Order: sequence, then structure tokens, then C-alpha cells
Amino acid sequence: MTSRLMVRICVALIAFTVLARIPAGFDVGFQFDAALAVILGFGLLSLVLLTGYVGQVSLCQATFAGVGAYAAGMTASTFHVDYTVAIAVGVLAAFTLGVVVGLPALRLYGITLAIVTLGIALVFDRYVFQDRIFSWFTGGSGGWRVDSATVFGLQMDSSKHLMAAYIVLLALFCVVALLMVNLHSSGAGRRFRAIRDSELAAATMGVNLTRYKLLAFGLSAGIAGLGGSFYPLVAGSVSPQPFWVFTSLQLAAIAVLMGVRYVPAAFLGGAFMAFVPDVLTRFGHGTLFGRYSYDISYDWFQIVVGVLLIVQLILLPDGVWGDLRMRVMHARSAMQAVTRKRVRVA
Amino acid sequence: MTMLRVRDISVRFGGIVALDGVSLDLNRGEILGLIGPNGAGKTTLFNCISGVIRPDEGSMFFEGRSLRFAPPHERARRGIARTFQNLQLWGSMTVEENLTVPMDALGRRNTLSDALYLPFSAYAERASHERARAILHVLDLGRYANALAADLPAGIQRRVEIARALAMRPRLLLLDEPAAGLDAQETSRLADLLRAVRERFHVSMLLVDHDMSLVMRVCDYVYVLDFGKVLAKGRPSAIRNDSKVVAAYLGEESKEPSAQSNGAAAMTKSDAPLLEVTGLAAGYGHLEVVRDVNLTVRPGEVVACIGANGAGKTTTLRAISGMIRPRHGRVMFGGHDVTGSPAERISRLGLVHIPEGRGLFPRLSVEDTLRLVSNSTGHEVDLAPAFEHFPRLRERRRQAVGTLSGGEQQMVALARAILARPRLVMVDEMSQGLAPTVVRQLFEILRVFREQGIAVLLVEQFVESALNVADRAYVFEHGTIASEGSAAELRRNRKLVAGSYLGTAVDEPAAHANGNGHAKLDPDLLEVVSVKVPAGLKRALEDRAETDGRSAGAVVMDLLEKVER
Repeated sequence: MTSRLMVRICVALIAFTVLARIPAGFDVGFQFDAALAVILGFGLLSLVLLTGYVGQVSLCQATFAGVGAYAAGMTASTFHVDYTVAIAVGVLAAFTLGVVVGLPALRLYGITLAIVTLGIALVFDRYVFQDRIFSWFTGGSGGWRVDSATVFGLQMDSSKHLMAAYIVLLALFCVVALLMVNLHSSGAGRRFRAIRDSELAAATMGVNLTRYKLLAFGLSAGIAGLGGSFYPLVAGSVSPQPFWVFTSLQLAAIAVLMGVRYVPAAFLGGAFMAFVPDVLTRFGHGTLFGRYSYDISYDWFQIVVGVLLIVQLILLPDGVWGDLRMRVMHARSAMQAVTRKRVRVA
Repeated sequence: MTMLRVRDISVRFGGIVALDGVSLDLNRGEILGLIGPNGAGKTTLFNCISGVIRPDEGSMFFEGRSLRFAPPHERARRGIARTFQNLQLWGSMTVEENLTVPMDALGRRNTLSDALYLPFSAYAERASHERARAILHVLDLGRYANALAADLPAGIQRRVEIARALAMRPRLLLLDEPAAGLDAQETSRLADLLRAVRERFHVSMLLVDHDMSLVMRVCDYVYVLDFGKVLAKGRPSAIRNDSKVVAAYLGEESKEPSAQSNGAAAMTKSDAPLLEVTGLAAGYGHLEVVRDVNLTVRPGEVVACIGANGAGKTTTLRAISGMIRPRHGRVMFGGHDVTGSPAERISRLGLVHIPEGRGLFPRLSVEDTLRLVSNSTGHEVDLAPAFEHFPRLRERRRQAVGTLSGGEQQMVALARAILARPRLVMVDEMSQGLAPTVVRQLFEILRVFREQGIAVLLVEQFVESALNVADRAYVFEHGTIASEGSAAELRRNRKLVAGSYLGTAVDEPAAHANGNGHAKLDPDLLEVVSVKVPAGLKRALEDRAETDGRSAGAVVMDLLEKVER
């Protein structure tokens, strides 16, 4: 058990050191994408916890991230406190909203719960982030700029310190991912999975459904909010657009596409969501053979995701990562069988 | 002393009364049996005690404290554990993990320390895994410890359910049909296990099962539920011979067996069989539910399948109608080989299957439901004949099917079957959850089918009613056909059919009495009762009987005498 823990820590460390260096050699746009990938990765990680572990559906994860972003940005620019405090406030705000959203989940299942959470995402999108009533707080549909923030007394500028923000984000992501992998095989993780497999059995075997469902929603929202609260620091502004309904829907679709039960799939999905649209807009237009002009801009991303999702649901029902993992495991056991046979022959 | 005290519990689902003022007392260290026909409210009572549903009226006390406001997990903490009739293991976990969940849940472990893998959590983790392995070892499940629960055969899953419940260190164990799907040998091993568990873990138990041999063997006291009420209670030996209990399982004894049915049987005897099933085996996943089923239905004949719950009647029907694929054997219908054909092809050949629960669409109106028939045959169908046979449906033609009473819904299902002009209708548990008067009406309607020349294959818990309307019957036991005969014959040996429901023990006194007086009846009697014997052994006995030129019953009697000496 403990050796498995050491392996996990090593894997996380290696992943961190490798991934931390990659964006440094590229332009600022690419570095921004990398930071965005990790933020979206947090959103997907929150779905791994909520949907993958506990089996609850949610279509408002981007809203949780948005609440984290708005709360953190607001705290930093209004009270001029250290940004670490702002992040704590953002996470706490998201956690609280998560618990509140979890309340209807005590009674609702499946498609009904999906509709309710979608409704919450819509309400926050239209009437909180964009509406004039809250514009004194949210800045309306245009948002507002977060010019500078201090982290541990150091002045941070979004354009100059993008790499620093990315590395901190990545480190946090690795820590949270590690905690989640640990959680999966621990007692609390088994209680979560018990709720997913059979709520009836879980309740009659002593699992407090109210407590664990609310905890799952709170933790999940907190993880999404942690990613979101970095957004003002990375983008230099807060606006409703990144946290609107369709980001939530996209998060859910990508989570399923990559494998909603697996932590590494969250990073894969985050990178996919951040880089593919950017690559499409950058290189998606031009002329072919000097004659045919083409333009596969960002709009095509939605179609690509849709098609991939259909293909995945048919061919790889456990998601890209889940299927990959299964194949590797099969290959390994096949190889072990062959070796064993050889040993026996010898 | 009284451990669990249930007083006047009532539960209603919509208009259906599932439990009606049930009271029950369970003493410490006792194994209490709870029996009754399908739909009597046994599982509902379990759900009330474990807190899954809240009763509309009544009170419950566990060890002197009220259970009124205790949610399910609170009851688990106080020591009530249960198993589930439809297995509810956590399929994506290993067996060992399944056992650790209830242990941890009761230990109030901390989520954060678990995720951080703090020493306290690591220690608790090791301890609960060790205890899980110990329990699995005691219950002889050690070799499945690292298998995924979903991959195990149903019989093992049932034992793991018991192990998981024991992992909670319960004071009271609620067992919901632990013997379902087990064969005679496995059932007797289960009986030993339950007694061992009581000795070793000092657990009181409440046991629901349809296998009377198990209930009679392990229970100290038995309650009989029927239509949500306590019909009788007493020691197993008293319950066994209670005429009310026998009636509840078999229906009211009929005064005049209908002569007409026998005439019809004689008339159709010469025809080629409409449905012919040979050597059928079928099941779900790892579980083989039926094997070696041979069965024929001739045109215009009414044939009943009777036998205890879990004996394989429903599975047989499902395999015939193509809802599941048969594993072995052949199904011939109307001269076509339809083994493993898709269900819609079989239904086009003229076979209608009315499944348990009737297979209706609750939001459609009666009229629209019946019109669906025309869609599946391709042309508009006149609804008049349906309303002619079921005038009640004409009144309610615009009503949504879901709002009808259970009996009326069954009428809709039957009317739909008539309109499809089938050659064979298979009805599964037509009377399930319905009051006796409604059941009687429905059986009258089955005669309509006969008049129209439609053959009927019937699966029924109310044996007496079924035998009244049927020409012939098959008795299922432990996944295969144990005996068959004309309805009149089986009706005469009423007590013997009871054997397949209440366990062979019922008929021991009868067998002895008959053994002295009517030596001639006795072998037949044993043949019907010997359903407890596995099919292979039974065939061997029959072979022996044939070479000796005696009945199988006589051979058994000889053997028994030899053993006694």
C-alpha cells in the first residue's frame, strides 16, 4: 500500500517536472493556453470526483469555476489583499455554492439532476455574471480588469508572470490529482463509490447519504473554484464569457470523452480543450494547393467535439483514457502469461 | 426479551395497500421466518425496518428505542443489517472492499485524513481489510476476496451479501430471499451457515424466503403474511399444517372441478403440438436458471406452469418468447424453429407474451394501447371484440392505463392479446398483487381464450385457480420440470402439489398414512413430491423403476427402508 503511494508521488513529480518546462520555449499565446489547460483541467478533475467517483451528474461545473474567479478577483482588486487570500476566498465561495447545489441532489437523480444543474448554470450566466443588477459587483457583460496582484508581497503582472502562474497551477493540480487518486482507494473513496454503485445498499450499510453527497458536491465545486480563482491572475481580467453555460456543457462532454472515472483523463481533457481551438484559429485557414481556400476556425471545434463524442461512445465506452488503460492492462497480463509459460517450459 | 417490536405498520403505494396493520415481535437470538405468497408485503416490511421507506402508520422499536426518525444509516449504526432480494453489491469493487465499506462507515472515518493517507487512516485501513479477510475466511469465501463483485455468479453474490451484512457486526440481520436461485444442496449448506452464524456472531435474524425447506429448518418461529396482513404465526411445525396457510399459497379449494376442461383436453390431444420445447436451458450472466425443460402446448390448450418462486418458470417463458437467448435446447412454434429468434419475429408468428408487470405504457389511454396492436400487424383493428369481452374497459377507454387498478390493467393486457389474434398467449403471474375476487374474474376471462381456440401457457402462484382453468400442468422445481400431468390429476393430489411449495416435509404424515391404507396412490404421490431430488438422480430412479417394472415411488420406498435398516 505504502509502496503504491510512493509510486504515485513519483509519477506526479515526474509529470510536474516535465510539464512545467514545456511551454517556456513558446510564445505568450501558447503559455496562456497552457495555463488555461490546467484551469480547465481543474474543472474536469471536479467532474471526475463528482461523476466518476460518486455518480452524480452536474452541468454547472464552469459556474463553480466562475464563482471562484469572480470571488477571488473581487477580493484581490477591492481589498488589495494578497492573492493567496483571494484564492482561499474563491475556493470557499465555490465550496459553499457546491453544497447548496448539492441539496436538490439529495432527492434527484440522473436526467432531472442534470436539468436542475443546467438551470443553475443558466441562472448564474444570465442573471449574475451578466446582469445589470449585479454589475456593481460583476462588471456586467464586459467584466473588469485585474491589473495587478500581489503574491507573497511580489507584484504579479499577468503578461509577464504567465509562466510563474502556470507552474503554481500545475503544482497545485498535481497535488490535488494525487489526493484524488489516494481518495479513490481509501475508505472515504469507497463510501463515495458505494453511493455510485448502489445508493440503497450504501444507506443501509451505514453510509450517511446526506453528508457524503453534500461533501462530494462541495469538494467538487471547491476543486473547480480553485482552478477558476487563478483565472483573473492568468487572463488579467474577469468576464462572464469563459464561464458561460456552454463551457459547463463542454466540460461534461470532454470529461465523458476522455474517461470520467480517471484522474489523468482530466489533464488530457484540459489540454484538448485549451489547445485545439487555439490551433484551429491559428492554423485553420489558408489555401490548399494554391487554389482552394479553407477556414476551420474555432466554430469547428464544437463539431469536432460532437463527432468525437459519438465515435467514443460507440468505440471506447469508458473514455479515451479508460480504454487505453484497459488495453495496457490486457497487454501486460498477456505478457505475464507468456512469461509464465516460458518459465514453466524452462 | 423483545429486540424488535413492530406495531400496526401500514404502507400504501397509491391505491395499493402493501402492508395493512402488521405487528411483529422478534426476540434476541431468535431466527424468525417470514413467509407468504408473492406480493404479500414481505420485502416492503423489510424496507420499513431498514428505513428505506417510511410507513404511513405504525411504530417500530429496536432494543427499546423508537426507529421513527432514524434514517437508514442510523439504523445500521444501531445494528440492523440487511441483504437484498435483487442483489445490491457494489459491483465495481472487489469483494474485500465491499466488506470494508460498512466497517469504515460505522467507524466515522475522516475524508481528509483518508485522502492524505495519514497514519491514523492507514492503520484503520489495514485493520478493516484484515477483518474483512477474516470474515470471508469464516464464510468460506476467501478465494473470492480480490474478485470484482459484479463478476461473481449470483449464488456467490448472495453469500457475499450475507458476509457484507455481517461485517457491520449487526445485532439484527434481515435476510431477503437468501436461497433464491440456489439448488437443494446449496440451500441446505445455507441453512447450516445461518445456524453457524447465529452461534458464532450471536445475531438475531429475520428471514424471508420462498424455499420452505430452509424456513422450516432454521426458523424458531414463523409469521405468514398474505395481502399485507399477518395471516398466521406459530412454530414451523404448526404453520406447516395450518389449513389457512396452505390455502394462501394454493388459493381456495374449488368445489367442482370443471368437466369442460377435461373434454377440451381430450379433443385436442390428437393435434400436432403448437409449441414444443425440448431440453431448454437458459439463464442470466453466470447463472443458469433453468435446464432440461421439456414442454409442449397443443392448439387450443390451456397449460399451467406451477412451482415455487425462483423455480425457473418466468425464465422459461422469457426464453420461449425470445426475450433472452436459450443456451441449449430447441423451441419449435407452429412448425418453425424459433430457438433464439428475435422477439418480434416470434410474436409475428402468433405468440403473445404478457410479462410479469404486464408490459403496458402507463401514460397511454386504454384505447390507444389497444390501437397499438393494429400498428404492429400493419392494418387497423376493430376494437369492438375487446370491449365486448371487457365491458369495463369500454367505460374507461379514455383513461390513462397507469391510473387503472391492477386488475383493470391486467384486463387491458389480456384485451390487447386477444386483438392480436395469436395462436398462443403466455401469461406470467397474472394474479400477482391482485385481490382474490379480481383474480377469480381474470381466470374467467381465460376461458374466453379457450373459446376462441387460443392456446394459453400460464405461470401462476395461485395453484388452485390455475388448475381449475388449465387442461394440463407442469410442476417446476429448482430450475427444471419435476413432474407433469393433467390438471384434474394434480388437483386430486392437491396436498402433493403443496409439497413443491411448502417443502416435502408437509406430506410426510400424509405419506405415512397413505402408505398403510392406499398403497396404490402412494407411488404417484411420491413421484410428485420427489421434486426435491435433482433431475439426474430422478432420471436414474426412473430407469431403475422401469427395469424393475415398478413405479419410481416404490423404488424410493425400498431404498428408504434399506437405509433405515
